[in-house]
Amino acid sequence: MNKFFSTKMSIAVFATPALLLFTVFCVYPLLPQLWMSLHNHNGFQNLGFVGFDNYWSVMKSSSFWVSHRNTYLIVAISVLIGLPLSMVFALFIDVQTPRLRRFFKSAAMFPAILSVIVVSQIWVAFYEPNWGLFNTILRSIGLDGLTRSWLTNEKTVMISIGLTFLWQYIGLNAILLYTGIKTIPKNYYEAALIDGANAFQVSTRITIPLLQDVMKYVLILSSLGSMAFYAHVRVMTAGGPGDLSRTVIYQMYYTAFDTSQFGKGTAIAVIFILQCLVISFLIQRFVAREKVEF
Amino acid sequence: MKPMIRIVFTALLVLTMVAVAACSSNNSSSPSTSPSTGASEQPSGGKTDGEKVKLRIMTITTDENRNNIMEQFIKPNIAKEFPNLEVEFEPGGGGEDMANKMKTYNASGDMPDIFWNDAGFFTSLNQAGNIMDLTSYITEDGFLNKYKVPEALKHFDGKIYSLSSGADTYFTPVIFYHKDLFEQAGVQVPQTFDELIEASKKLKDEGIVPVVTPGKDGWGLKLFMLQQMVQTGDPEAMMKLVNNETDFNDPSVIAGVERIERLAKEGVFADGIANIDYGPAMEMFTSKKSAMLWMFTWELPNLAKIDSVDFFPFPSSSDKYDPNKVAQFWGSPLNGYAVSAKTEHPDEAVKVAEFLAMQDALYFESVGSAIALETGNTAANLSPLMEKFLNWYNAADVKIASFALNSVDARMSAELSTQGARLLTGEYPSAEFLKVINQEWEENTWFGN
Amino acid sequence: MKNGIRLFWFVVGCSFLFPLYWMVSMSLKSKSEAYNNQFGLPKAWAWDNYMEVLSKYDFPLYFKNSVIYTGGTIAITLVAGTMLAYCLSRMSWKFNGLALFYVSLGLIVPIEVVIIPLFQLVKSLHIKDTYFALILPYTGFSLASCVLMLFAFLRSLPKELEEAACIDGANVYQAFSRIIFPIVMPALVTQTVLIFMRVWNEFPLAFILGARDQFRPLTVGLHSFFVSVGVSHWGYIGAAMMLTSLPTIIIYMIGNEKIENALTAGAILK
Repeated sequence: MNKFFSTKMSIAVFATPALLLFTVFCVYPLLPQLWMSLHNHNGFQNLGFVGFDNYWSVMKSSSFWVSHRNTYLIVAISVLIGLPLSMVFALFIDVQTPRLRRFFKSAAMFPAILSVIVVSQIWVAFYEPNWGLFNTILRSIGLDGLTRSWLTNEKTVMISIGLTFLWQYIGLNAILLYTGIKTIPKNYYEAALIDGANAFQVSTRITIPLLQDVMKYVLILSSLGSMAFYAHVRVMTAGGPGDLSRTVIYQMYYTAFDTSQFGKGTAIAVIFILQCLVISFLIQRFVAREKVEF
Repeated sequence: MKPMIRIVFTALLVLTMVAVAACSSNNSSSPSTSPSTGASEQPSGGKTDGEKVKLRIMTITTDENRNNIMEQFIKPNIAKEFPNLEVEFEPGGGGEDMANKMKTYNASGDMPDIFWNDAGFFTSLNQAGNIMDLTSYITEDGFLNKYKVPEALKHFDGKIYSLSSGADTYFTPVIFYHKDLFEQAGVQVPQTFDELIEASKKLKDEGIVPVVTPGKDGWGLKLFMLQQMVQTGDPEAMMKLVNNETDFNDPSVIAGVERIERLAKEGVFADGIANIDYGPAMEMFTSKKSAMLWMFTWELPNLAKIDSVDFFPFPSSSDKYDPNKVAQFWGSPLNGYAVSAKTEHPDEAVKVAEFLAMQDALYFESVGSAIALETGNTAANLSPLMEKFLNWYNAADVKIASFALNSVDARMSAELSTQGARLLTGEYPSAEFLKVINQEWEENTWFGN
Repeated sequence: MKNGIRLFWFVVGCSFLFPLYWMVSMSLKSKSEAYNNQFGLPKAWAWDNYMEVLSKYDFPLYFKNSVIYTGGTIAITLVAGTMLAYCLSRMSWKFNGLALFYVSLGLIVPIEVVIIPLFQLVKSLHIKDTYFALILPYTGFSLASCVLMLFAFLRSLPKELEEAACIDGANVYQAFSRIIFPIVMPALVTQTVLIFMRVWNEFPLAFILGARDQFRPLTVGLHSFFVSVGVSHWGYIGAAMMLTSLPTIIIYMIGNEKIENALTAGAILK
C-alpha cells in the first residue's frame, strides 16, 4: 500500500508547497543573520570580519547571563508549574457537569485570545504600587508589609511577569489537553471502571499515557514559546529595572537595535537558536519515544 | 473536479501568484500600491497636471503637544499649502519604537522622504548617507533667515540636518509644584538639596507623593536628572563632561550620581518610579497625587492652566551653583524635521520640512511658548508663568547643553537608560552604576568620528 | 476538599474573565476617573469615549486588513501544512524524519530575530505594499506548529482507513481529500483558532511591514492610537482596546461551541 501511495510525484506535490514557503520565509532570512554574527556590523554597514569575537564579547556581558537566567525561569515556570496545572485543569473540566464545563471552557481560553499588548497593559495596572489591584487588596486585609512595587523590585519583577504569562496561557494549554482527552475512546474508561479503578487511577493509567502525542505537542509549544518570551517584557517593564527583566530575545533586540550592534545581536540570536535546537531535540528524543497504539 | 485536486490547484495557483509577484519588474501593473516606484517615473518637478508627487512623512507622536500639532495645524493646512503633493503620514511613535523603525528603514534603504530626526539614531543615518545636508536649500530660499540664531541649527560638523520650531531652545528641566500642597504640608520652596529632601519627607508624612517624573526606561534620569544632580553641585564639571573633558571618575560627577541614589533611598520619588511612563507621571501631578513634577518646560503651557502650579529651578547642592545663573539647554540641532538624502523629490521634500517646522512653531506660539522661528505673527500674550520662566531663563547666562543629546552614542544612550532606571529603584548602589557607565564612556564613539 | 478544588478553579475561571470587565468599565470612564477608580464600575458612563475613538481610529479599514491577513494566512497554512503532514506521516520518503525536524525548527525561530532580512526579502520580491508582505511570512512562521500538530493527529489514525480506500481503487489524492481531510477537520479547526490568535494579535512584524496606513492591521492601528491620541487617556485606550478585541471575542463566543463539537466529532470517529 505504501508503494502505491508514495510515488515520487505525490511526495513532491504534497511536500513542496509547505517546504518552499517555510524555507523562503522562515529559514532563508536566517542565513544573513549567521553571516552578520561573524562581522562587526552596525545594521547598515559591515565594518569588517571579526570571526567569533562577537560571541566571546556577548558572553562576557553580565546582561547576557541575566537574560538567560530570566528566560529559563520563565521556561521553568511554564513547564514545571504551568503544564501540571493545565493538566489538572483539563482533567477537572472533563469531570464537570455540562453547564459548568461550558463555563470553564469559555473562560479558559479567553486570556489567550486577547492581544499581548492588552493583557500586559492590564497587568501593569494590577501591579501598580500606588493604586494597583494587588497592593489595594493587601492593604485592605491588613498585610501592608507585603505590598511592594512589584515591577521595579528586583526580587519580584520576573516572578510577576511570569505570573502574567502563566495566567494568559494556562487555559489554552488546558483546552488543548482536554481535546486530547476527548479523543481517547470511551470504552477504555468503561473497561477501567468495570475493573473498579477510581478517578485518580483512570487519570494516571489511561488518560495521561494515551495523551503522549498531545502532551508532547503542548510541551514543545510551551517550552519553546516561553524561550521566545519577549512581548510581555517589552510592554510591562521595557526590560527594567535596569536589565533585570530582560529575556534572551529582549537582550538580542536591545543589542542589535538599541545599541546599533547588529553583529553582536545576531550572535545572541545564533546562540539562542542553538539552545532551542537542543531543547527541541531533548523533547523529541526523550518524551514519548514509543508510540502508544490504540 | 475532485475536491482535493481543487485544493492542490488553489495552492499552486497561490504559489504561482507569489512567483509572478516576485519576478515582475517595477513597471508591472501595481498602481497606487508602491509609491516609490510610481514616483520615480515622474519628472522631479512634479508639476504635470493631475499627477501628484507622493511623499512619505514619518512624524514623532509621543505626547499631546505632538498630537495637537498634527490634528490642529499640519493636517488642516498641508493640502492648501501643497496642492500638488500627495502626502502619507506614518506615525512613528517615539523613543525606542521610533528609533528601531528608523534603523530598520535605514538598514534596508527604505527611508521616508521626510522624517523627525533624533540624536538617538542620527549617527546611523548619517553614516549610511541617508540624511541630507539642508544648508544650500534653506539658504537659497531664505528660510534660514527666519531663525533668530541661524548658527544654532548647525551640527558640530558644520552642516544643517534638521529644521525645528526653535521652541526647544527654551526647553529646560525645572521642578513644577502645587503651591497649595506645599502650604498644606507647611513646606517652603527648597533652596538647597538638603531642604529638598526635608520638604519631601514632610510631604510624605501628609500622605502626598513628593516627586514624580517619567522613570520608565530611565527617561527622566537620562534626559535631565543625571545632568541636574551633577551641575547643581558643580556646573563646570558638567560642562566638561558634555565636552568629553572629564569622565565618571570625576569627584563632582560621582557626587551627582550619589545624590540620585540618596533621593531614591530617602523615598523622594513615587513608589515604582522606575516603571512610571510619561502619561501616568503627568496624570499623577495634574491630579494632585504628587506635589512636584520634574519635567521639561514644553509642558509649561499646559501646566500653566492649573492655578496652583508654579515652578522653581533645581535647588543647589553647593556654593559653586547659583540656580538663577545656570540652566540646562535642551536644544540639539539634530532634533527636528529632516529630509532623506535618497528622496526622489528633494525640492518638494525640503519645502515640506520647512512647512512642518513652521507648523510646530505656530502651535507652540499659539499655546504661549517662546519660539526661535519668525512666524510673522505678533507675539501672543504670555501667561504669567511663562513670563516668569522667560525672565529666569534669559537671565541664566551659563547654559549647559544636554548631555544625553550632545555627548553619547546610541549604545551609551541605551546603557544610560538601563542603568538609570535601575538607579532609580534605590536598590542599586551608585558605585555599580558608575563602574558600568564609566566603562561605556570609555567606549563611547560619539566624539571619535 | 472536593469543594475546595472546585472553588479554586472557579476563582481562576472568573479571573480569566476579569480583563473583559476591566476593559469594558475602563472604556466608559472619564480621564480622571480612570486613574482614581481603576477597578470599580464607572460612576458616570462616558459613552462619548467610543465616539471620540471611532472618529480618530480608522477601525473599519484596520479591521478589513486584519481579516485579510488572518484569512490569507489560515488558508495557505492549512492547505500546505496538512499536505506536508500527510506526506510525512503516511508516505515512505527517506527524508521524512529530517523534514519533520527541519520544519520543527520553525517553532523556535522567533519572528523578531529575522525582521531585517525578512524586510529586505519582501522588498526584493516586490511584494512590499501588498497583503502578501505579511501573509507569506506569517505562513512561513505558522507552518511548523500546523505540521507538527497534524502529524501527531495523523499518526494516531489507523492505517486501515486508506487501505480500504486503496482497495476501492482510489488514488492518493482522492484518499487524502475524501478520507483524511474530513477526519483531520477537528485538528484543522484547532489550528485555525491557534493561527488566528497568533496572526490577529501579531505586532512586531506588522509594525515594520504593515506600516503604511492603508495596510495597517488592528494591532498596529491600536499602537499608533496609543502613542498618538490615547497617550494618557485610559478611557480612550480602554475603548480602543475593546473595539480591537471585540471581533475576537465575538468569534470566540460563537465559535466556542462549534470548535468543541468538531473536536468531539473527531473523537467519535475513532
